[in-house]
Amino acid sequence: MSETTQQLILWLIPVAPLLSALITALAGPGALRYKSHLPCWTALAVSFVCSLILLFQILPSVSQPRTVASETTTSESAESVAIAPGVTAAVRPQVIAVGYEWFQVGTLNVRMDLRADSMTAIMLCMVTGVSLLVSMFGSGYMHHDPGYPRFFAAVSLFVFSMCMLVLAGSFLMLFVFWEAVGLCSYLLIGFWFQKPAAAAAAKKAFVVNRIGDFGLIIGIFLIWQTFGSLSFEEVFGGTALLNAVAETDPGRIQLICLCLFLGAMGKSAQFPLQVWLPDAMEGPTPVSALIHAATMVTAGVYLVARCTPLFVLAPGVQLFICATGAITAAIAALTALTQTDLKRVLAYSTVSQLGFMFMALGCGAAGPELVTAAVTAGMFHLFTHAYFKALLFLAAGSVMHAMGDVIDMRRFSGLKKALPITHWTFLAGAAALAGVPLLSGFWSKDDILAVIGEATHSAQYGTFFRVIQIVASITALLTAFYTFRAYFMTFWGEEKFPEEAGHHPHDASPVMAWPLGILAVCAVGIGLLTGPTHLFAGTLQRIQGLTAVETHGLHWGVMAVSSGIAIVGIGAAWFLYVLSPGIPASLAAGMKPLYLISNGKFFLDEIFQWIVVFPLRKLAALAVLFDRFVIDGIVDAVGMVPRALSVLPRQLHGGLVESYAGVMWVSVVAAVVVVLSLF
Amino acid sequence: MVFSQLIEKLIQETTTSSLPYFGAELCLSVTIVLMLLVRLFNADRWLPAYLVAVLGAFAALWCTYSQSAQLNSGSVSDSQTFFGGMLIQDLFSVYFRVFLSLFVLLTIALTALTGIPDIEDGPDFYSLLLGSTIGMMLMASANNLLILFLGIEMTSVPSYAMVGFLKGRKTSSEAALKYVVYGAGAAGVMLYGISLLAGVLGTTDMSLLAVRLSEAAGGQTAGLADPEIRAVTLGVLLVMVGLAFKLSLVPFHFWCPDAFEGASAEVAGFLSVASKAGAFALLVRFCSALSGAAGTEDLLMAFGVSLGVIACITATFGNLAAYNQNNLKRLLAYSTIAHAGYMLMAVSAMMVMQNSGHAQLYQVDIQKSVEGLLYYLAVYLFMNLGAFAVIALARNYTFSEEIDSVKGLISQSPVLCISMMVCMFSLVGIPPFGGFFAKLMIFAAALKAGEIHWFMYVVVAIGGLNTVLSLFYYIRVLKTMFLDERPAQSRAVPIRLFSWEGSFVAVLALLVLLLGTLPRLMSGLSATANAAAHAVVSQL
Repeated sequence: MSETTQQLILWLIPVAPLLSALITALAGPGALRYKSHLPCWTALAVSFVCSLILLFQILPSVSQPRTVASETTTSESAESVAIAPGVTAAVRPQVIAVGYEWFQVGTLNVRMDLRADSMTAIMLCMVTGVSLLVSMFGSGYMHHDPGYPRFFAAVSLFVFSMCMLVLAGSFLMLFVFWEAVGLCSYLLIGFWFQKPAAAAAAKKAFVVNRIGDFGLIIGIFLIWQTFGSLSFEEVFGGTALLNAVAETDPGRIQLICLCLFLGAMGKSAQFPLQVWLPDAMEGPTPVSALIHAATMVTAGVYLVARCTPLFVLAPGVQLFICATGAITAAIAALTALTQTDLKRVLAYSTVSQLGFMFMALGCGAAGPELVTAAVTAGMFHLFTHAYFKALLFLAAGSVMHAMGDVIDMRRFSGLKKALPITHWTFLAGAAALAGVPLLSGFWSKDDILAVIGEATHSAQYGTFFRVIQIVASITALLTAFYTFRAYFMTFWGEEKFPEEAGHHPHDASPVMAWPLGILAVCAVGIGLLTGPTHLFAGTLQRIQGLTAVETHGLHWGVMAVSSGIAIVGIGAAWFLYVLSPGIPASLAAGMKPLYLISNGKFFLDEIFQWIVVFPLRKLAALAVLFDRFVIDGIVDAVGMVPRALSVLPRQLHGGLVESYAGVMWVSVVAAVVVVLSLF
Repeated sequence: MVFSQLIEKLIQETTTSSLPYFGAELCLSVTIVLMLLVRLFNADRWLPAYLVAVLGAFAALWCTYSQSAQLNSGSVSDSQTFFGGMLIQDLFSVYFRVFLSLFVLLTIALTALTGIPDIEDGPDFYSLLLGSTIGMMLMASANNLLILFLGIEMTSVPSYAMVGFLKGRKTSSEAALKYVVYGAGAAGVMLYGISLLAGVLGTTDMSLLAVRLSEAAGGQTAGLADPEIRAVTLGVLLVMVGLAFKLSLVPFHFWCPDAFEGASAEVAGFLSVASKAGAFALLVRFCSALSGAAGTEDLLMAFGVSLGVIACITATFGNLAAYNQNNLKRLLAYSTIAHAGYMLMAVSAMMVMQNSGHAQLYQVDIQKSVEGLLYYLAVYLFMNLGAFAVIALARNYTFSEEIDSVKGLISQSPVLCISMMVCMFSLVGIPPFGGFFAKLMIFAAALKAGEIHWFMYVVVAIGGLNTVLSLFYYIRVLKTMFLDERPAQSRAVPIRLFSWEGSFVAVLALLVLLLGTLPRLMSGLSATANAAAHAVVSQL
């Protein structure tokens, strides 16, 4: 393939959705109306095909064995994460599409270039593929909504931003599109902005994300200050500088990593910034599936994985990441146990799974040799999670659609017969999430548990990782339990519909059924395709900062344990919600405080309300007073001065030629006199 | 040399070297004749004068542009005098002539859109407009004190007529008459100054002024005790009166509000930008022609500082007087005065640095101060014309130019209001509009000059303070347009974005925005301005 074609293909990936967004935004309200999905579908299909081409272009060069030169460089154990610049071309296949210079200030030269390596290609395929399916589903789900064109314009814009985020070659560009996806998320959470809850949720998401973004931009400033560059290539590739900074000023690297992770915490909803994600379910369900489950929320994971060369130098921060992930995973899983809103269960499960990914990423602290495995596990889970979580959300959307927008699981049950397609696809997704052997979730979760298991052998942090291991195992058990609790509550038991649904709830229409089916196939099969074959690890190990690891066999022990965990969880759910449905209520009554804590979402919203929102409100009220009386007073006073002073000029301008001429002549004469007498 | 040979040589020189440099002026002259001919043959019904004028202005623009391309490519020498040393061709002169051609083109487009003048009066009006532009072009390329005078008069005389062009209106005639009286007075004073200069220094050639001045000083530090120096000082002072009149500097600004209020908004817009640009070109040339004379540094430094004093007074006076104005044109007239003050700060900074005795050291900064002035003028072209265009377009529907007539205009014509907002924010100097960067460059130059004379710090401080002051009255207009309710009985202003009128102001506003946001455009313009500044400064 020629260079030009390659560039064209790379540019087409983000540009096609951008064009679609523009077309839909301009022509949507007038010409397109309920055909607004057409540009979106076309553009996303184009992007998807281009992403696939890109992936298959990068893959062959990845799967061939590494050159000897790179082996020798990378086998130096201590610096194994750093790849010498000389061998980059041979080792790290990547495509760079030359864009244009955005601006240049001093030595800071910001270019809009696209940069793709294997991690990018995988992310792109996942993002465009899932969004294509979701947009198809969306056209059925949203049909005859008054905001139909707006929906597709925003989705196209989101896909554009997400692709650019993933394709970014520098931190600044990443930040720009990091904000852009945040904007799209805001627009789509508040899609039904007439609903106060939706508007509030959109605002909450925006504000909470802002805290994280603050960290991210500080981190980027620090990177600029430390390394004098913002491009990934130069920051990660400058091995000598990286190591020098790590030696002379380890605190700085830690600070940078901490700031970057703060950004990731906001976007990927990690404790304590996870509060916005469950509320974000106020948006249309396809949006929840696309943005708040499959793609955007994983941007934080992507950021941390991308910055591995930095994080590997800050083991302390990695431990922090791991702990945060574990706390988030556990809290979210415990909360999900008692929720009755189907979408909220899934939202908490998303938070929990994101916690899992961060747990995996944090395992790099145990030793440099684990870094590649850790990143691979995290990214692998991100990848599989996107499919089965999008599937679950879409299936939940299908339930919601059939039930007349009712999503409270207490109001319907036994939908198995009424909604067969939805039932089977939901089951596929739930089984994958629970980690049923051979399904996609099983492989990736197994990878994570295996990495954590290996990390426990670390001499320094062994105890820490043993705690993490226990938390992870329990969370995995809880995951299986709450997923199937939701499944059994929705699809089993006696058949019951809410009155909003009408008499005959209809199953997913073809335009909704097809995406569900395709995603179900992916959720079931994609793990089998990439898990045991180590395709994923083999692909990822070539990106900057990662090293080759010998692909050891399958972790039979871990697999057995995790299969056991999944089966126990599912069995418990079956026992409690199908066999003897009375027990959960009595359990809840028996352990009232625990139930309340879980059902009340650990009261995090209330705690935030009291320790953050309330004082800030008071501060804002003070600020308003200050503004009104002090600032406005000063401004008014400043405004009064010229008004008073302007009396004089007005008096001079009486309109009389004589007075004008008088002033003029007096001035000239005065000037002459001054000049003549002064010296 | 025999007389016939002399004539032959003159013809030879004129046709081979001088006339090509004079292309733009010739184009405009031909256009004037063409327009009159068109009417003579009763063809003005189907060939409106504005079409001819637009073509002529376009030809002039093309001419000057190709001249600048030639100069930039280095195929002709950087600086070339012609017509026997009367005029000079360099990047500075070309910059202004491109500027003026572009501006007159835009003004013609605006008048064609607003329908002032009507078809019958078209040839008269555009003859005056183009004639005045020729005068300004002469000012920009003047290399002789006589051309200085001639240029100013050639600009002024058609301007008087244009101000009084609304023949039926009493205010218009009154304004024109006031303008004529001051113009005549100022011209007389200036001519007296020129004769003093020429008499003492024995030349009217501006490129010789510095040399002769230094000879008059006798190579020592000259004081006013020396009668020759005293005469020269008086001469400079009196010439400055003439220039100050054109620049509407306090206390020679009285004509400006009255003339602008009486004239139509289109004419006011033209005068506020074009005649100011020509006068600044002349001022910079005159000042740098005087600079560098050995022995007179102290005097010229004092001259520079007093320019700074006048700049401060002018800016403050203009901004203060703009308060409580209820006529939009009058308000903008005072704003014009204030902006002349800001721009004069650049000239003052240039003079101070050029006569510090370390001109070589400050070479870059001197260039930067002139570059700032040129950048300011370019942005000023768009923002001021934009503001006047909005007033003119709204007037066509409301028949009024009072502030109250645009009350709540946002509900009827968002494009006018938003363009006005962009122009006014830029006039205040709020980023990211072009006006901010222009002001920044001038203040930066003045700040640098502060290293030499402390008073320049005061100039910067007063400039900054004035920016704050000016905010109030600009915002008042915007508040009226955006926040007030449109009165029920007011006339509708149905100007949409996708109409000729709407897109005209929108394009102006967009340019103002782009001149502050598009790095490539900004660096391109400032590089061009810098090259032009280099041309005039390096003549030392």
